[in-house]
Amino acid sequence: MMLHRVTLSNRNGATYSVNGRRPLLEQLRGQGVDLPYGCEYGGCITCAAKLVAGNIDQRRQIALNNRQIANGYVILCVARATSDITLEIGVESHDNLYRNPFLDPLKPHELKADIATPEEL
Amino acid sequence: MKDCCGPGYASPAEAINAPREKLLYTIAIYTGTGIQKPDYLATVDVDPESPTYSEVIHRLDMPGIGDELHHMGWNACSSCHGDSSMSRKFLILPGVRSNNLHIVDTATDPRAPRLHNVIDGAEIKAKADLSGPHTVHCLGSEIIISFLGNAKGEAPGGYLQLDKDFNIVGRWENSMGNIKFGYDFWYQPRHNIMVSSEWAAPNTFMPGFDLEEVGHLKYGRELHFWDFEKKEPVESFYLGEDGLLPLEVKFHHDPDSTHGFCGAALSTNVIHWWKDHDGKWQWEKIIDVENELHPEWPIPLPGVMSALLVSMDDKYLYVNNWLHGDMRQYDITDPHNPKLTGQVFMGGLLGRAPTVNGVEVTGGPQMFQLSLDGRRLYVTTSLFSTWDNQFYPEIREKGGVMVQIDCDPENGGMTISPDFIVDFGKEPNGPSRCHEARYPGGDCTSDIWL
Ligand code: FES
Repeated sequence: MMLHRVTLSNRNGATYSVNGRRPLLEQLRGQGVDLPYGCEYGGCITCAAKLVAGNIDQRRQIALNNRQIANGYVILCVARATSDITLEIGVESHDNLYRNPFLDPLKPHELKADIATPEEL
Repeated sequence: MKDCCGPGYASPAEAINAPREKLLYTIAIYTGTGIQKPDYLATVDVDPESPTYSEVIHRLDMPGIGDELHHMGWNACSSCHGDSSMSRKFLILPGVRSNNLHIVDTATDPRAPRLHNVIDGAEIKAKADLSGPHTVHCLGSEIIISFLGNAKGEAPGGYLQLDKDFNIVGRWENSMGNIKFGYDFWYQPRHNIMVSSEWAAPNTFMPGFDLEEVGHLKYGRELHFWDFEKKEPVESFYLGEDGLLPLEVKFHHDPDSTHGFCGAALSTNVIHWWKDHDGKWQWEKIIDVENELHPEWPIPLPGVMSALLVSMDDKYLYVNNWLHGDMRQYDITDPHNPKLTGQVFMGGLLGRAPTVNGVEVTGGPQMFQLSLDGRRLYVTTSLFSTWDNQFYPEIREKGGVMVQIDCDPENGGMTISPDFIVDFGKEPNGPSRCHEARYPGGDCTSDIWL
């Protein structure tokens, strides 16, 4: 089976080996990484991390809006690695995750996938 | 209390004359703070004669991390007053994110509650297809808990019934009718009525608040009236723009009254309902808090009235404006015509009271609990971890606070007590956030009379 390397940039660059079949949360926790999580089906955002480099598949997530995805956030409980990746994990990585909606509204294309409309160019 | 009797009090009038509270319990969370520690139940000393007054004197850690404790409720209340085999002994603490229900024994040592058992969240999903627990009420000797979603976090969820030994009975309701969302509920047995309100699906509110989703109808705007015995909704009120995010619902404590109130959080309105002379349920908006302009923000700021409660004598209504930062007291002697009789600021985004009793307040007044005699209102500042992180990001470093507001039940009026403040920013494991509070001897949101 194809294995990918996960580097945790905010854990002194620690590296782990994962497969592309199982979610990252499960595989990293299985190797002893302390990670926050809640629902484990991609709906509650507790497990969000920031993808610094590489590619993942997180089609099953429903917690993030399109702006959060554009800012690099990934939902580890459903995301799978599709290449070697570098992640920033834990709540420390959430600096850009939350925004005050009265200060900084979303544009229609930045909403969650089920209600977003395509960006007008 | 006479030994003939079960928990609570024979009537609201008797409850008002109960001894003053000496302890209170509040939940405190680490979920979403970045501190990988369990959420806990804190015991706060509220006896001014005690050397540890205004301090956390005990912390009961939950067994796991990431529950997001939120609201809680008792195994028994005054609805069991006639049953001497029952006692107000166990507090039920749901984890909104984990789905676990923690049963805590507060009677063996009220200062140091202990964990009695945990109903596993996975078992609830498997047996009842429910997630996102919120309000806990006892029904005579049984317990029902509103859940906001099914096992996949989709609305409307339903109600879990437990027996008095905390075994899962199954779903309480016979039908959810056309209800789109769940949240809070309260019932008034003499009128065979239950009223429930609407927040959103767990998958919508858990990740945070996208204001834009309100317009896409992902948040609630209806109130539902239930035939309590038949366990099914019979009538719904569409509140429209006046009732966006109708959250907390409370009836008068007087069991003969049909008047009740709901705080519509985003509209920042109080909705009042009652049964008219023809036996029809009616509703009206009785309080409308205007949005305020923040000097640098494009969108006017709503108050966000996330909670409300009624004093035990049914004379005063207390509401919060979490984003504006004020607590308000209204005289509701005439429930159609509330009169503002008190207002204090603590925290909030408008900068009106950044510091209270020497402690910097992050967050605004959010949950509150009133003493049975109506004189002491204990107020906490955190709403929900992800929402806190959006509106008050500094709360990660500063934690929540608990403030006491002294209320005048004779003439109206409120002032912040200068002698009391609990700074959850100074907790031993790091800044945590306090939320709902309950008093062992009963308070103004725990009891219903049959
Ligand atoms: S644990 Fe809930 S979204 Fe991942």
